[in-house]
Amino acid sequence: MKNIIRYALLFGLFFVLQVFVFNRLELGYGAQVFILPLYLMILPFETNVFVLMIIGFVLGISVDALSNTFGLTASSLVLFAFLRPIVFETFRPRDGYDPLKDPTASDMGLVWFLVVFGVLFSSTLLWFFILEVFRWGETLLVLRNFFLSLIASGLVISVSQFFFFNQRRKK
Amino acid sequence: MQNLFAFLRRFRVFIFFSALQFLCLVLYVQFVSFPKSVYLSTASTFNGKIQSVEGKLTNHFDLEENNTALRLENAQLRKRVFTNFYRVDRAKIQVNDTAYEQSFSYIPTKIINGAVIRRNNYFTIDIGKRQGIKKNMGVISPNGVVGIVFKVGEHFSLVKSVLTQDINLDVMIGVDGPRGILKWDGFHPKTGIVTGVSSDLNIKKNTRIYTLGASGIFPKGIKLGTVISKSRVEDQALWNLEVRFSEDYRTLHSAYVVHSLIRKELQTLQLEIPEDPE
Repeated sequence: MKNIIRYALLFGLFFVLQVFVFNRLELGYGAQVFILPLYLMILPFETNVFVLMIIGFVLGISVDALSNTFGLTASSLVLFAFLRPIVFETFRPRDGYDPLKDPTASDMGLVWFLVVFGVLFSSTLLWFFILEVFRWGETLLVLRNFFLSLIASGLVISVSQFFFFNQRRKK
Repeated sequence: MQNLFAFLRRFRVFIFFSALQFLCLVLYVQFVSFPKSVYLSTASTFNGKIQSVEGKLTNHFDLEENNTALRLENAQLRKRVFTNFYRVDRAKIQVNDTAYEQSFSYIPTKIINGAVIRRNNYFTIDIGKRQGIKKNMGVISPNGVVGIVFKVGEHFSLVKSVLTQDINLDVMIGVDGPRGILKWDGFHPKTGIVTGVSSDLNIKKNTRIYTLGASGIFPKGIKLGTVISKSRVEDQALWNLEVRFSEDYRTLHSAYVVHSLIRKELQTLQLEIPEDPE
């Protein structure tokens, strides 16, 4: 129960941060900070994939409604939720996942987090930009936006991992 | 039958995934193609309210720049007020003169949401159906053109800005110069591209770009930007002109919706142009 409240609060926090802070941040050259995938990433290991996709869809569509992206964010988050169990399975530790741990950098180690999240996040971001631009002639634009956003979002997310999710291990 | 169930069970995750993706894309397509629906956009009343509350909080950040811009515009307008002229030809100042019919009127508005980080950027303005806003009205700002009204809600509207994929505005290069089409390539919110200009024309750097007013959405001669460089289109006798917009869309907060009084007439007339038999 305590966990549900915690994740519900985090849902609100991610929503507000994305819509009112990061979507307003103009870094120039097409770089965007996309933090929503991190929310889907840190949900517990045993979360059902259907629940995950529904959460992704709801979170995405609420952000879309306030940023005039009409379903693009929802679509990319659903993709993230769909791929999550597949990638988790691929990078499974030898003894399987500890149900007491969360898929964060502090619980699972930085290397595991960077690899798994990196794979998932890159595919989500690339999907988002391809859908947004949707023209062969503008492949260069897609690539530029993709790489710069990957760097910008990656920095923000890494920092958040150090500051927020480190605390829980000490308890 | 059993096989079918087995199939469905096996691929249930993927089927659910495809269904959600389909739903997202349907939402996307209905958004772009059906002008009537404003749900799930910032032009809907509920979302518009959230945006205007947020706008009240963040508007102050650019207050100084906006004040300067408005003061400049005021000064320019004051120059045109008739009482400021010492001696003017009478025929020109008579507003009721039958030789001059007013063809455009302007409705002031505030831009409450205007991100410029996407490939297609839509701005939300704080007036809608109640204030007589209709689809396809033009929107201009003190320094340039903002875009075209795309969706109209009860109290808010969505403007398809110059910074979108298929904006295609009719422009002229220099006063009464050659015609071209303005596009945005998505790379930088300060620069656009004008295509369709024949490469045998000599176009100088720093030439100003104005609206052509051919479709009756915008008045003729509203400045849009200046040419900063030109290059030849491959395999075609056309220039690709790079244009720096005169308006900085990143700090834009106030605009005017253009109400064209002659547009309907212009449209009915242009419908009578016979189509090319191919």
